[in-house]
Amino acid sequence: MENFSALFGGAEPPPAAAASFALPPTWVGGSGPGLVGPGQLPVGPAGTTELTGSTNLITHYNLEHAYNKFCGKKVKEKLSNFLPDLPGMIDLPGSHDNSSLRSLIEKPPICGSSFTPLTGTMLTGFRLHAGPLPEQCRLMHIQPPKKKNKHKHKQSRTQDPVPPETPSDSDHKKKKKKKEEDPERKRKKKEKKKKKNRHSPEHPGVGSSQASSSSSLR
Amino acid sequence: MAMAEKFDSLEEHLEKFVENIRQLGIIVSDFQPSSQAGLNQKLNFMVTGLQDIDKCRQQLHDISVPLEVFEYIDQGRNPQLYTKECLERALAKNEQVKGKIDTMKKFKSLLIQELTKVFPEDMAKYKAIRVKKACFRLAKFY
Repeated sequence: MENFSALFGGAEPPPAAAASFALPPTWVGGSGPGLVGPGQLPVGPAGTTELTGSTNLITHYNLEHAYNKFCGKKVKEKLSNFLPDLPGMIDLPGSHDNSSLRSLIEKPPICGSSFTPLTGTMLTGFRLHAGPLPEQCRLMHIQPPKKKNKHKHKQSRTQDPVPPETPSDSDHKKKKKKKEEDPERKRKKKEKKKKKNRHSPEHPGVGSSQASSSSSLR
Repeated sequence: MAMAEKFDSLEEHLEKFVENIRQLGIIVSDFQPSSQAGLNQKLNFMVTGLQDIDKCRQQLHDISVPLEVFEYIDQGRNPQLYTKECLERALAKNEQVKGKIDTMKKFKSLLIQELTKVFPEDMAKYKAIRVKKACFRLAKFY
C-alpha cells in the first residue's frame, strides 16, 4: 500500500478557484484530465492544447475540400488527362526517350548563367536543307490517339444482335465437346468393334482386330 | 492569391514556350527556304521564353516539390494520384492511431476499475488528487 501511494504521489496542488462547472459523478479517468467541449482539443499537462491522432486531422487542417476533390471522385490515371494541351506522347515513361525528370535532377545539364539572344552569325548555323524530315525524326508530331467513349462501345455491344458464331468459335466449342465425349465414344466404339469382330467371319482373331482398331483410332 | 498569380504567370510562360517549340517543329519537319526568317524568329522566341521562365524562378524559390511526384510524372501517371494517395494514407494512419488511443483509454478505465476493487482507499485518494489537478489546470486555462 505504501509503495502504491508513492507511485501515484501524495503532493496536492494549491487550492484552485471555485469551479463553475460540474464534474461527472462517475469518473472513470478514461477521457483525460479536463472537460472538453465538442470540436475542442484536450488540455495537456502544461495547459497547452494537444493535437493527437484521436482528432480528425483532415478537418483540423481544413482539408475536407481537397479530400472530397481527390478521393471522392475518380482521378484519371494518365498524365495526358492532367495536361491535355501538351503535345507529344507524354504518357510514355521518361526512361524511354531519356526525358525523365529524375535524370535531370541527378545529372543537371551544365549551362551558362544567362540566356543571350542569338546573333546573325549564330543563326547562320541554323540554315536547313529544304524538304521533309526523315521518318525517324518525325516522332514529336505524333499525338496520342483520342480516347473513344467506352460507353458507346458498351452500348453498341448490347444493342447489336448476337453475331453468328464464327467458324473458329464453333469449331473450338465442338472440339471441346468432342474432347469430353471422346474417351466415352472410344470405349463405346471399342466395345462395338469387339462385338462385331467376334461375330464377323472376315477377321481371324480378337487380338489382331484389337490392334488394327486401336491403330485406326489413333 | 499572390501565390496563385505567380503560378499562373509561370504556367502562361511555359505554355507559350511549348507552343513556340511545337511551331518550330512544324517548320522544321518540312522546311522551305522561305521559312528561314520564321525559323530564326522562333529560335529567338525560344531564348526570350527561357529568360521569362528564369525570371519566374526567382519568385517561386520557396516552393518545395516532393520528389515522389517526379516518379509519377516519369511513369506517365497523373500527379494528382500522389496527392490522393497521400490523403488516403494520412486518413488511414489517423484512424489507426485513433484506434490505439481509444484502446489505451479503455485499458486505463478497466485498470482503474480493477485497482479500485483491490485498493479502494488508495484509489479514492488518487481520484481526489486527479480531480484537484484537473480543476487547477482548467482554472489556469480559462
